[in-house]
Amino acid sequence: MERREFLKNSALASSLFMVPSFIKAFEKYSHSTLGYKKLVIIQLAGGNDGLNTIIPYTNDIYYRERPALAIKKNDLIKATDELGFHKNMGGLKNLYDQGYLSIINNVGYPNPNRSHFRSTDIWQTASNSNEYLTSGWLGRYIDQYGKMPHSGIEVDDSLSLIMKGENINGIATKNARALFNNTQTPFFKKVIKHQRDNHLSEHNLGYLYKTMIEANSSAKHIFQTSKTFHTTIEYPNNPFAKQLKTTASFINSHVNSKVYFVSMGGFDTHNAQSKRQEKLLDVYSTSIEVFVNDLKKNDTFKDTLILTFSEFGRRVKENGSEGTDHGTANNVFIIGKNLKKPGFYNNAPNLGDLDVNGDLKYAVDFREIYATVLDQWLEVNDERILNKSFGKLNFI
Amino acid sequence: MDSKHLQHLYCRAGFGIGYNQSTTLHKTTKKRVVSKLFKESESYQLLEIDLSEFNILKELPYKKLVTTIGKKELRALQKKGRKKVKSLNVAWIDRLTNSDAILREKMTLFWANVFVCKDANIWHIQQYNNVLRTHALGDFRQFVKAIAREPSMSKYLNNRQNSKGSPNENFARELMELFTLGVGNYTEKDIKGAARAFTGWSFKYDGTFRLKKNKHDFGSKQFFGQEGTFDGEDIIDIILEQKQCAKFICDKVYCYFVNPIVDNNRLNEITEIFYKDYNIAHLMRYIFNSDWFYESKNIGTKIKSPIELLIGIKKIVPFSFHKPKQVYYLQKMMGQILLNPVNVSGWKGNTNWIDSNTLMFRLKLASVLLNNAIINLDEKGDIEGTFDAYYSRTKNRKQYIKANINWNAFNNEYLNCSTEQLKEILISSPIDPDTDALLANLDIENNKDYCIQLMSIPEYQLC
Repeated sequence: MERREFLKNSALASSLFMVPSFIKAFEKYSHSTLGYKKLVIIQLAGGNDGLNTIIPYTNDIYYRERPALAIKKNDLIKATDELGFHKNMGGLKNLYDQGYLSIINNVGYPNPNRSHFRSTDIWQTASNSNEYLTSGWLGRYIDQYGKMPHSGIEVDDSLSLIMKGENINGIATKNARALFNNTQTPFFKKVIKHQRDNHLSEHNLGYLYKTMIEANSSAKHIFQTSKTFHTTIEYPNNPFAKQLKTTASFINSHVNSKVYFVSMGGFDTHNAQSKRQEKLLDVYSTSIEVFVNDLKKNDTFKDTLILTFSEFGRRVKENGSEGTDHGTANNVFIIGKNLKKPGFYNNAPNLGDLDVNGDLKYAVDFREIYATVLDQWLEVNDERILNKSFGKLNFI
Repeated sequence: MDSKHLQHLYCRAGFGIGYNQSTTLHKTTKKRVVSKLFKESESYQLLEIDLSEFNILKELPYKKLVTTIGKKELRALQKKGRKKVKSLNVAWIDRLTNSDAILREKMTLFWANVFVCKDANIWHIQQYNNVLRTHALGDFRQFVKAIAREPSMSKYLNNRQNSKGSPNENFARELMELFTLGVGNYTEKDIKGAARAFTGWSFKYDGTFRLKKNKHDFGSKQFFGQEGTFDGEDIIDIILEQKQCAKFICDKVYCYFVNPIVDNNRLNEITEIFYKDYNIAHLMRYIFNSDWFYESKNIGTKIKSPIELLIGIKKIVPFSFHKPKQVYYLQKMMGQILLNPVNVSGWKGNTNWIDSNTLMFRLKLASVLLNNAIINLDEKGDIEGTFDAYYSRTKNRKQYIKANINWNAFNNEYLNCSTEQLKEILISSPIDPDTDALLANLDIENNKDYCIQLMSIPEYQLC
């Protein structure tokens, strides 16, 4: 036998004996040719008050229902004859002016659920409101197309349902170096090396081993790819901006991830809403603008689509504590370089036609947006991921 | 009682069992061991930290406080009080490790994740925590009513802002969705009725309940098909009439204490028991005395919460942190900070604790706490030398966690244990055969090293 042949065979043999089938499965797909487009999903957790974010400043019903909370005409940034941005959304308005922002109004789903947790699950799993799914829609994308855990990264300390697949979960990390160092611990490497069995993932122990193996194979890639990249752009000093900065460093260093998820909390404004929301929108808007600039500077903005949602909007009528209670439909922000329909995608919600609880009736099903993004941006079969066929919109 | 069963009972009713206690109880019957657990939880101490410097905050109403000590000083004092919540967190961790009333403390931890609440007012949140402890094994009806009157809850779910004519639905909704019935078991109309019944429920500056009569809606309300001038207590009584309420709580109890995969027959069985009198102690005694609780499918199948993991290690190898903020950091990294829940739905538990990041951190936890992050590794016939290479790279890194470790206490109990016995004490799940082969092939220097090794395998994450 030739020496080269021998080496090849023995390498093959040792890999068969030593490498768990999970790792083998991952390595098989590591050179798969997915497109280079990236998707960043941002959740404003708690239920952002969309009506005080994009303000229908010529609508009498709006002013009638919100004597304490309505934002005055001269205290906002006008965009159209009907709608204006909250005064602290200057950053987003800049993106709007450049044609980088498409606002889809009145997005929701049939039989809306007003629980944060249930509605978050519905948005994250893309289920019907009476359907309970255990995997997220980005998780199913990773399962079927990404194939590697690091195909999806949640920039946080722990992983949300949106990134959990049926077979593979995405990776949660705020600090790729720390994760990598942990996986390199010799004892753990040894434990992994000893694994021969394809552990059944339905048992908790199997789930633990599987997660350990996934962490090991992904942490190396993420860390080694991103470690040399340093942004030259200055970000605001808050946790959300920091998460976006990390996201940008992964995208700009070309980590082989397709979908990202970042969550920003605090939007559950049942009382003293004005001051609180003001601050939150400022953090969101200024951070997003810097994030886009960072991507632009590294020529990755053209390949990145950023989608912001909140699990529900808030009730049209304010409550008795200068706040708002849980509502239904809300606006979704799409940010990208080559949008088909920048500006306002559709009409503002009709405040004269509310449901029995006094909430907005949705006009666009959020899964139509997902279907459009999957089909036209990530260029995959949206029906396979959403388990159903939805109409497509025309924004990208 | 069989040592495997003893370990299972103590893992679920507490935070594991040590070698000495396991040996002592070996000859006692199940019934007596269970009785002992309840007996030890009869008397207990409230969890109270030294707050003497904040006494004035609950002695005077706000307006008088301002005139007495001045607005600026008051604000400084309140700020200082907020920091004390972290001290209470640390005191709670100590309590979980050292209390004799282990079942009550475990139940308190459980209820803290049912009646989820958060408050920056140290007096109120300490009082709230002790309401959980007081009712932990008591009458569920009184428990819910007590919770609804607590200042911390009133603030957390905005019931303070709930008043006649302009109701705030937050508390009414979460009461049914998260505390008693579960989503989908009530209507939006029920929420509106309940919200009106809780209008005006507020509290005095000293933390006691008061009804603001001018804010309370004394009118007739509709709730679950009934009509009447209900107040909050009536609403809770009507909720408890629904068998769904007993089932909802039993489901949580089953997932937490028995198995995260619910057996519907068992769930119905304990729901009947609980619905009879809503007595928590009766329910728990029934479960721990049942044969099915000890079936092998229920043993070692639950993923430990970060707190269970941390306390479990601490009970085997006692240690104390140099800086209390470090115990806070560990909780944050693993996603469970006591007194600081992520949201009102609480921690989801089981596999939700685990993802790539948290798992690697948890696997490394014992070595970080006990051995400067080093897990010794001497495998028979190992020639790769990866161990030295890795640790020479990481050797100079700053040590973040500094703790005083009481290896003497460990050695007193475990020095003469066989490696097999140590393994049985630490691991309740069956061990993966490949990992077991690795363990068998280790050159074990001493029980200290072996203890850290065992605490670093995935099986240790289960209880």
